[in-house]
Amino acid sequence: MKDLRKDFPILEKQVYGKRLVYLDNAATSQKPNSVIDTISDYYSSDNSNIHRGVHYLSEVSSEKYEKAREKVSKFIGAGEPGEVTFTAGTTDSINQVACSLKSILKGNEVLVSGVEHHSNIVPWQLAGATLRAIPMDEGCNLLSDSMKITDKTKLIAISHASNVLGSVNPIKEVVEIAKEHDIPVLVDAAQSIQHMPIDVQDIGCDFLAASGHKMYAATGVGVLYTSERFGDILPARGGGGMVDRVTLEETTYLKPPLRYEAGTPHIAGAISIAAAIDYMQDIGMDKIREHEHEVYSYARNKLLETDGVTVYGDTEEMCGSISFNLDGIHHYDTGLILDKMGIAVRTGHHCAQPLMRTLGTEGTVRASFALYNTKEDADMLMEGIEKVRMMYA
Amino acid sequence: MRDAVQDEIIGQFDGLEWLDKYGLLISFAKELEPMDKEFKTEENSISGCQSKVWIRTYRENGRLIINLDSEAMITKGIIALLLKVVNNRPPREILDLDLYFIDEIGLKSNLSPARADGLASIIRRIREVAEVEAN
Repeated sequence: MKDLRKDFPILEKQVYGKRLVYLDNAATSQKPNSVIDTISDYYSSDNSNIHRGVHYLSEVSSEKYEKAREKVSKFIGAGEPGEVTFTAGTTDSINQVACSLKSILKGNEVLVSGVEHHSNIVPWQLAGATLRAIPMDEGCNLLSDSMKITDKTKLIAISHASNVLGSVNPIKEVVEIAKEHDIPVLVDAAQSIQHMPIDVQDIGCDFLAASGHKMYAATGVGVLYTSERFGDILPARGGGGMVDRVTLEETTYLKPPLRYEAGTPHIAGAISIAAAIDYMQDIGMDKIREHEHEVYSYARNKLLETDGVTVYGDTEEMCGSISFNLDGIHHYDTGLILDKMGIAVRTGHHCAQPLMRTLGTEGTVRASFALYNTKEDADMLMEGIEKVRMMYA
Repeated sequence: MRDAVQDEIIGQFDGLEWLDKYGLLISFAKELEPMDKEFKTEENSISGCQSKVWIRTYRENGRLIINLDSEAMITKGIIALLLKVVNNRPPREILDLDLYFIDEIGLKSNLSPARADGLASIIRRIREVAEVEAN
């Protein structure tokens, strides 16, 4: 694959006089020139509020916004663009579903996996549901066959890929079992949509949440796919742009997706997602997956081969993140030294405290990869780790 | 007002590269007397740090004795420096201290929100204790 680094201007940057090795992609990805230009062009030539104007600019931005929706819809294999809502991000998407389904969830149960991010835990608790984790084995492989669905189970909310381990959950298997019991499934795709092709109809889920900024687009924007059969649930938010008729006694809502987009949305953000999809599709999602798999496996094997390194999680399919610790060295200490070598990683509990408890650690060092990372980046990480060990010896 | 202990620390860090600064912090960390396990309680821990930090204080002959410990070495190194400056002083003196060495040796990033406010939380806690003891 051609060198993609040059498409990302920030990767030219030096930090502390060293080449930037950016391995914090699970937190947020860098942006290619095409996305940066799209955002800049939008504000310099098209900016206007959408759907409500009679003037030229409003028409232009409304069209670009709706085209972005269409693009996302095709990208994730939705049946029609109306099933795609722009939100503020994955966290917001999940919170909106939790709020909309509150009356069903309250006093009932949501099944999750044991590797969930807090954003796929807390919203359900706020909605009054209790949570139960589907069992997993020592490597964090989900044991979907052991999944127990009871009368209280009203939803399965599961991450496609773990933000900590990079483990990929067998979501199709989960959906198949859920369908037998007519339980809806929400897929948190924050850590998978940038790494592999996604097809919501093939998966068969009812909801899918993702963030723009982790897939090379702007921060503060995300998507929520809601299957047609849930198209009439109550909107989580009320306001302008989502209503049909408002009186002081009663309000009727527009059809999806607009009923779920109260207020002025992140227009530039939504359009930036379309530009990011174009960028990824120009390379090809299969090619991205292949390249990333090669770099990811290379890095993971190097870590596994190194004495005194604990690598967490071992599942059949993995992508994005690798979590590890150096024996006898606190994760924070590792991260600080790597930082000064120009290597950006993340340390701590990664908003997944229940998983940390399962792993028996307070935190880990997480290196997370994107399409522009190379084996050279992995080698620099390994050099950095050697240096860390020398420093604390 | 300049302070001899802080000036000495600044002198030690002067002109060092970042990794050497960390190297020096690690050597200070190794010198720090570890806190007994029994004192590493939830009550004695300081929140707002990326790594766990515990504090124990008591008064001896009118001076405030402070023990600090952390599970991370760099944090330990920083608190070892901090203790060189603030430990074993009358509480009023601690409250009057201007901790300029933190800025001057380049540790200010440890005070920023990006570092989860760690060092700032520790200093705040020490000041709170000193405030109570001074009155």
